[in-house]
Amino acid sequence: MEFLHHIFSDVYTRQNNWLTRMDVRVKLFYVVLLLAINLWAKNIFISLIFLSVSFLLLLSIKIPFMTILRSMLLPISFAILILLIKGLHEGEKEWVSFSFVGYKVLLKEEGLLSGLHTCSKVLGGISLVIIFSFTTSISRLCAGLKWFRLPDTIIELLSFIYRYIFLFLDEVSTMWIAQKSRLGHTSWKKMIKSFGTLGGMLIIRAFERAERTNEAMQVRGYEGGSILTINLTPWRKQEYASVLGLALILPILIYIGSMQIW
Amino acid sequence: MRRVIIIFSIVFVFLLFTSQNAIYAMHITEGILPPRWVFTWFAVSTPFVGIGIYHIKRKKRMVPSYLPLVGMLGAAVFVFSCFPIPVIALNGMATSHPCGTGMSAVLLGPFVSVGVAAVALLIQALFLAHGGLTTLGGNIFSMGILGSFSGYFAFKIAQRCRLSLFWCGFFAGMVSDLFTYLGTSIELGLLVINKGGSFFKATAEIFAVFMMTSQGILCIVEGVVVGLALLFIYKRKPSILFHLGVIKNDTKPIQA
Repeated sequence: MEFLHHIFSDVYTRQNNWLTRMDVRVKLFYVVLLLAINLWAKNIFISLIFLSVSFLLLLSIKIPFMTILRSMLLPISFAILILLIKGLHEGEKEWVSFSFVGYKVLLKEEGLLSGLHTCSKVLGGISLVIIFSFTTSISRLCAGLKWFRLPDTIIELLSFIYRYIFLFLDEVSTMWIAQKSRLGHTSWKKMIKSFGTLGGMLIIRAFERAERTNEAMQVRGYEGGSILTINLTPWRKQEYASVLGLALILPILIYIGSMQIW
Repeated sequence: MRRVIIIFSIVFVFLLFTSQNAIYAMHITEGILPPRWVFTWFAVSTPFVGIGIYHIKRKKRMVPSYLPLVGMLGAAVFVFSCFPIPVIALNGMATSHPCGTGMSAVLLGPFVSVGVAAVALLIQALFLAHGGLTTLGGNIFSMGILGSFSGYFAFKIAQRCRLSLFWCGFFAGMVSDLFTYLGTSIELGLLVINKGGSFFKATAEIFAVFMMTSQGILCIVEGVVVGLALLFIYKRKPSILFHLGVIKNDTKPIQA
C-alpha cells in the first residue's frame, strides 16, 4: 500500500506560496476553461504550451521534478496505448507493417498523427489538473464547488470520503503488515484469502466508525442538515484582475488552438 | 528505426499492464475523449448521479446517520479498490487493483453506488492523476453505472438462484469488473468511428488486451475477494449485512 502514500498526498497544498494562496474560484475558472481549450485545440502547440507552463509553475513553487513526473507516468502510459490503438485502426496510408507473434501489425500514418495529437492533449490536460491538485486543499475545493452551486450532498460526501481515506489507508497498512509478518502472504492462495479478510475487516471498521461519527455529530447538534461550514471571502481586486487576465488571454489561446497545422 | 520505435512502444504497453506497481487500466485519462464524447458521456452519466444523490439526500433526511455511513463505506470501498492484488497468471510478478463498485453496489444499492463512484473518481482524477476531469463522465459510465448495476443485478440473480453468500459476492465482484472493462473498451472503441476504423473490431481488441493481460484474471480474483469479504462480515458481524439489506434470514452463508 506504500505506493499510495507517495502519490496520494496533500502535503504540497499546505505550503505557503502564491499559487496556494490564490482563490479557489479563480483556479477553477482557469482549469475548466483551459481544459476546454485543450480539448478543442486542433494542433499540439496549445497542449505543449500548457504542459511547459504548468511544469515551470510547479517547479517555481518547489514541487520536486520526480514527484511531478511520477504523477504523470500513468497518463503518459495510457497515451502511448491510445497512440498504438489509433495507429492500428485509423486511416489507410501504411506507415509500417511487420509480423508480431504471428499477428500482422499494420500501423497507419493518419492514425499515428491523430494519436500523437491525443498524446499531447493528455499531457496538456493532465498538467493542468496536477497544478490544480498540488495547490488546492480539499476544504478549499469543497468551498469552491459550493460557490459553483454543486449539490451539498456531493460536497459533503466528497469531504467525508476524503477525510477517512487516509485513516483507512493507515489501518489497512497496519493489518497488511500484520498479515505479512504472520505468513499470510506466502502463497497467492493464502494472499487472496488474506485480502478477503482484510476487505471484510475494512467494511466492519467503516461501519463501526460510521456509528461513532454519527453519535459525535448528533452530540454537536447534527440533525441531517448540511455539514459544510466553510465560506469563501467576497471577491477582491486580485480575483477580478485574475479573471480579467484569463478573459484577455483566452482569445489568443483559442486563435492558436484553431490553427490547422496538419 | 521505425521498427525499433514500434517494438519499444509495444514493450512499453506490455510493461504498463505487467509492471510491479498497481495497474490502473480501467479509467480513461484526461484528454483522450474528443469534445462530443465528453458531452455524450456526461449527458448519459448525469441522470444516474442525480438519482443517486437524490437517494442519499432523501435517506439522510429520514435517517441522519445515513450520510456518515455512506461516506465511511465509500472511503472503505475506495481503499478496497487500492488493494494491490497479485496477478496469478504472472506468478505474482505484477499486481493489479479491483474496481470496488461491485462491493459498493451490494452494500449501498446501485444508485447510491453510482454517486459514491462519481465522488471517488473525482478524488482519483484530482489527487492521483488517475482518470480525468473531462473524462469523468465516461469513467462514471463504465465504472460507476455499468460496474454498479451489473454487480448489483448479478448479486440479486445469484440470490434468486439461492446460491450461498460467497457465490453471490463472487458473481457481483466478477461481473462488475467485466462490465467496467467492457464499458471502457466500448468508449475507446467508439473513438475510431468516423475515421475509417471498425468499432466492433477495435472494441473487441481492446477488451481482449484487457482480458489477456492482468485484468481477465483480476475479474475472478476480485470475485473471490468480494465473496470472502462478505463471508467474513457475515461470520463476524452479520448485523451489518442485515442492516444494509444485503441478506435476509434465509441466505445460505458458507458453502455452495
